[in-house]
Amino acid sequence: MSRLVLEHVEKRYGTVPVVKDVSLTIEEGEFVSLLGPSGCGKTTILRMVAGLVEPSAGSIRIGEKDVTNLPPNKRQIGLVFQSYALFPHLTVFENVAFGLRRQGESGNGFSARVREALALVRLADYGERYPRQLSGGQQQRVAMARAIAPRPRVLLFDEPLSNLDAKLRDEMQIELKRLQAELAITTLFVTHDQSEALSLSDRVCVMHDGIIQQYAPPEDIYHRPATAFVASFIGKPNRLSGTVAGNGADGRIDCGQGLTIRAAAVAARAGSAVDVFIRQEAIRLSTTPEAADNALAGTVAMRSFSGAHVQYVVRLPNGTELVVETPSSGPASDLAPGSAIHLLVSAADVFALPAAGRAS
Amino acid sequence: MNSARTGLLLIAPLAIVLVGAFLVSVLLLAPTSFREYLPGTGIVPDSWTLENYLRIATDDFYREVVWRTLALGLGVTAACLMLGYPVAYLIVRGDPRWRLPLTLLVIFPLMLNLVVRSFGWIALLTNRGLVNNLLMSLGIIDEPLKLMFNLTGVMIGMVHIYLPFMVLMLVAALQNVPRDVEAAAATLGSGRMHVFTAVTLPLTAPGIIAGSILVFVLSISALVTPRMLGGPTYQVMATLIYDEYMQLLDWSSGSALSFTLVAIAVAIIWLSNRAAKRWAGLA
Repeated sequence: MSRLVLEHVEKRYGTVPVVKDVSLTIEEGEFVSLLGPSGCGKTTILRMVAGLVEPSAGSIRIGEKDVTNLPPNKRQIGLVFQSYALFPHLTVFENVAFGLRRQGESGNGFSARVREALALVRLADYGERYPRQLSGGQQQRVAMARAIAPRPRVLLFDEPLSNLDAKLRDEMQIELKRLQAELAITTLFVTHDQSEALSLSDRVCVMHDGIIQQYAPPEDIYHRPATAFVASFIGKPNRLSGTVAGNGADGRIDCGQGLTIRAAAVAARAGSAVDVFIRQEAIRLSTTPEAADNALAGTVAMRSFSGAHVQYVVRLPNGTELVVETPSSGPASDLAPGSAIHLLVSAADVFALPAAGRAS
Repeated sequence: MNSARTGLLLIAPLAIVLVGAFLVSVLLLAPTSFREYLPGTGIVPDSWTLENYLRIATDDFYREVVWRTLALGLGVTAACLMLGYPVAYLIVRGDPRWRLPLTLLVIFPLMLNLVVRSFGWIALLTNRGLVNNLLMSLGIIDEPLKLMFNLTGVMIGMVHIYLPFMVLMLVAALQNVPRDVEAAAATLGSGRMHVFTAVTLPLTAPGIIAGSILVFVLSISALVTPRMLGGPTYQVMATLIYDEYMQLLDWSSGSALSFTLVAIAVAIIWLSNRAAKRWAGLA
């Protein structure tokens, strides 16, 4: 268990930068997710921490030790791969024992530690099996046990759950959280799945184009996005373009053709172009006019039912279309296309950020 | 049920060709191997004897040829493996730009006729050949090295000829080793050498075995290269069978030798397959 520190880390392939000047500190025992779309450099960062990719610049420290130039086998890390990467020619027991054997362990304490790691992932009775005799979820748990058994100083996860089906993924997510809480190992978790990142992490680091967009606790990432990219990537946002109206102090955004939206705060100069983000789930529907920071009238253009939620496409008088998500058990869950409807949005749920960094 | 029938249909064309053209004619030879042969007279009809097989097991000359053939097969296989693995590794793990040129270089010798390649080696290896002349001109040796009509010459020629098969099998095997599995071993504390011996090597075992069986079977049954580089006196089983049939017209001994060769090949393939499965944890 140690602190993991990245300082001004860069990675270029030829002249193409993949990771640009990333500095990141993960405190001892902390669970941090690197979240971003594919190609944002998150996996490259993880592989640099593991020693599988050499950084072009910068330094990486685990605890007090500079590991920038150490090979992977000298770093005392545990890495869980998306592909599981179990040793197919070894039994589950031998897979988990691999790291311990490398540390020169043997004897009674040694098998006890292997069994302990297997018990942690609830596979105590599977030691004699071969990986191919296990299901995907079981293989992933073996991979975790294998990474944990040598008691690494830092645990790394490379999209470990994305090869599993949805139901299993939810179970494994809970398992993983329990495991990390029990072991309190410093953990770096790479994922493109925002719900995974938000529910598991102490802090989330959102990345885009090789740059850290925001590094903050999950609540801040969700409720107070720092950049237009974060606002567009997290949740299911509607994006509108507008300009800051008046002097900007009252948070009014002119979205064109008579549509004005109020945000709680505007991080841009008066008259400058901004992107306005309103999450689908932050819009309340009402059949009668009500007072709100933003009360907009519109008509339902489309309805689609997806189980727990109903999604509407609502057209505003100026032609703008907004997608609204509402609980399927709540009011206004059964509106026919063409119905008149009122949209109510609190100013705190409207993010107005300088127009830049389109979501990919 | 259905899959069994589909399987049967899939192998049917090849099976018909093999049974018709190969198995039947080979089985027709089986009785011949138990017939008596009288020099000058020929095969004695309706005779029955185990003499032809007993001679292979007891006669010193025959025994030497059998052992030599096996030793040659094992030697060629081992040499191809040692020389081929690094090349295959370079092709798969090296700079991708070199992959195609290297693969072509490996395959290129296969485009030349076997006789031509063996002649090439004669030009290099004879007493007044390129190698000996060069070494003598440089004053490294006084007498020409004996590089032909012995194990050395046949080994050199056969390793050259069967190396491409081994490399191609190993390339296929190495391509099937997931990089993540090797990386996993590295993160668990394995240095580069241990990653190779503990992960890469066992995971390429199927390719090593397949390549070895292929090279072994090809080299114990090779005729042209041993004849050209071994000469008329340095015999292996294949050349001996050829002589028994074509020169001595002793079909009985020739057939017995052929069946012995097949039996040895099958036994070794079976044994190595079992050993490989155990080694790679696939049993």
